[in-house]
Amino acid sequence: MVSRRIAPFVAVFVLAGCNGGTVDRHALTNDSATLDSIACEGAVVANGVARGRTYVFFTREQAEELMIQAANLADALSKRPTATGLEARVRAKAKHAAQLAKLLRQLHDHPGDRATGATLERALHRAGHCP
Amino acid sequence: MNKIFGLALGILAAIGGFVDIGDLVFNTAAGATFGYQLMWVIPIGVVGIIVYSEMCGRVAAVSGKAVFDAVRERVGFKAGLGALVSSEVVNLMTLAAELGGVAIALQLLCGLPYRWLIVLAVIGFAVVIWITSFNWLERIFGYGGLCMLVFAVAAVKLAPDWTKVGNGFIPHISQNNPWLYLYFVVGLLGAAMTPYEVYFYSSGGVEEEWKPSDLGLNRANAIVGYALGGTLSIALMIVGGVFFLAHGINPEHLGTIALGAQQPLGEIGLLLAIVGILFAVGGASIDTVFSGAYNLAQFCGWEWGRYRHPSGAPRFTITWLVLLVLGMGIVLTGVDPVVLTEYAVIFSVVALPLTYVPILLVANDRSYMGQYRNGRLANILGALYLLIIMVVALTAVPLMIITNAGQN
Repeated sequence: MVSRRIAPFVAVFVLAGCNGGTVDRHALTNDSATLDSIACEGAVVANGVARGRTYVFFTREQAEELMIQAANLADALSKRPTATGLEARVRAKAKHAAQLAKLLRQLHDHPGDRATGATLERALHRAGHCP
Repeated sequence: MNKIFGLALGILAAIGGFVDIGDLVFNTAAGATFGYQLMWVIPIGVVGIIVYSEMCGRVAAVSGKAVFDAVRERVGFKAGLGALVSSEVVNLMTLAAELGGVAIALQLLCGLPYRWLIVLAVIGFAVVIWITSFNWLERIFGYGGLCMLVFAVAAVKLAPDWTKVGNGFIPHISQNNPWLYLYFVVGLLGAAMTPYEVYFYSSGGVEEEWKPSDLGLNRANAIVGYALGGTLSIALMIVGGVFFLAHGINPEHLGTIALGAQQPLGEIGLLLAIVGILFAVGGASIDTVFSGAYNLAQFCGWEWGRYRHPSGAPRFTITWLVLLVLGMGIVLTGVDPVVLTEYAVIFSVVALPLTYVPILLVANDRSYMGQYRNGRLANILGALYLLIIMVVALTAVPLMIITNAGQN
């Protein structure tokens, strides 16, 4: 009886949180948008460094969060099975995510270096096709 | 002077309760996704929480009873137990999310490891709650949370198109991804009318020994406090719409939200935003931990309240300590506080009717309220909001599934 009652809640969590499995066109679009958002946010953080409008702890922690997110996506996109005809694009996106994680690692390692901040801002802006 | 200090209850409820991690997440994400299109939901949520807070504050002032006293007496044991369990589950989820938010804000300020900060924050809260009076808890977190006003300044400095902002207050359905739009409508209403706010508000009224002569203060608290909270919600959505949407950023981290204040105001804006988030989320942690303890103590008929010495309300004291430890345990598992917030808000929406129906019943009960029972306006608004709450409660989980918890 109890298990019947909790079953719908378990189903909700599984259905709502299920993000693994095969990468189809929809999932690839979502992951690409997430990567662009990560890059654009990284560019804003780097802009703060370049202009001296932030502080070290914030830059380091925020860059690390974004780096972990990009690295996790890179890992997932390099391993997960893909829908037919999408594999090349998915693996290319995995490389792009890994490259993004590298840029964010540099930001994390040089949180007070204005010149590095300016360079990374441009690179991240390009990587994320930011508006 | 006492009246002015009394207003702090409203301010604490507004900053620490109204603007909590749920509001930060949903308002900013709504702005970043739909621009100003969801502005109209904020006043609906604000008026709803004002209506029901005023009601339960009035019940507390007139009868000396808080929400769960009324629940136990009016809806019977079984239904009351259902309300208690659902409220405790949602409270615990919210508490864990708020504690995670506190640790994130501290980490952004000092750079220490996240897990250490969770433990330090919980120890800090336990000590502060133990040694500080209810009034001082209000003042510390209420006034510290006023740093959140930096988002209002940021919203103005970002120079939004005010005509478009104004148009956002006209209710409509977006043609672009309507399911996601509706998910945000539900989330914004849930974040504005989250049940722990009224539990805390009504129990706070009893803690402060409100009497019928304080009904004016109750009304001022509810209106001023929540309107201030609503203004901050509007500011957060504007920041989302002007800054995050324009920069192609989907704010998925608590620190990201602070960037919205950094852009127009520089380092001082960034620092004020993080300190404001720390106090707002910290205040909400206190609200939720107390709400959980209040509910259980009131339902079980135990002695409760911070106005008593811990030894005078031992089971109440043990309950809030246990809740703090449980909340810490949940967030130490590594669950993302922002994701946990989204689930907590959506599940709190499902529990909303169980909270608001008994309040409406009691506020209308002549034997409880005498001449202070609901007037016509309070009843019309109460019934209208009950209808809205029912619809929102029924649609919350299906929308969460359809939109993959807002990820689509």
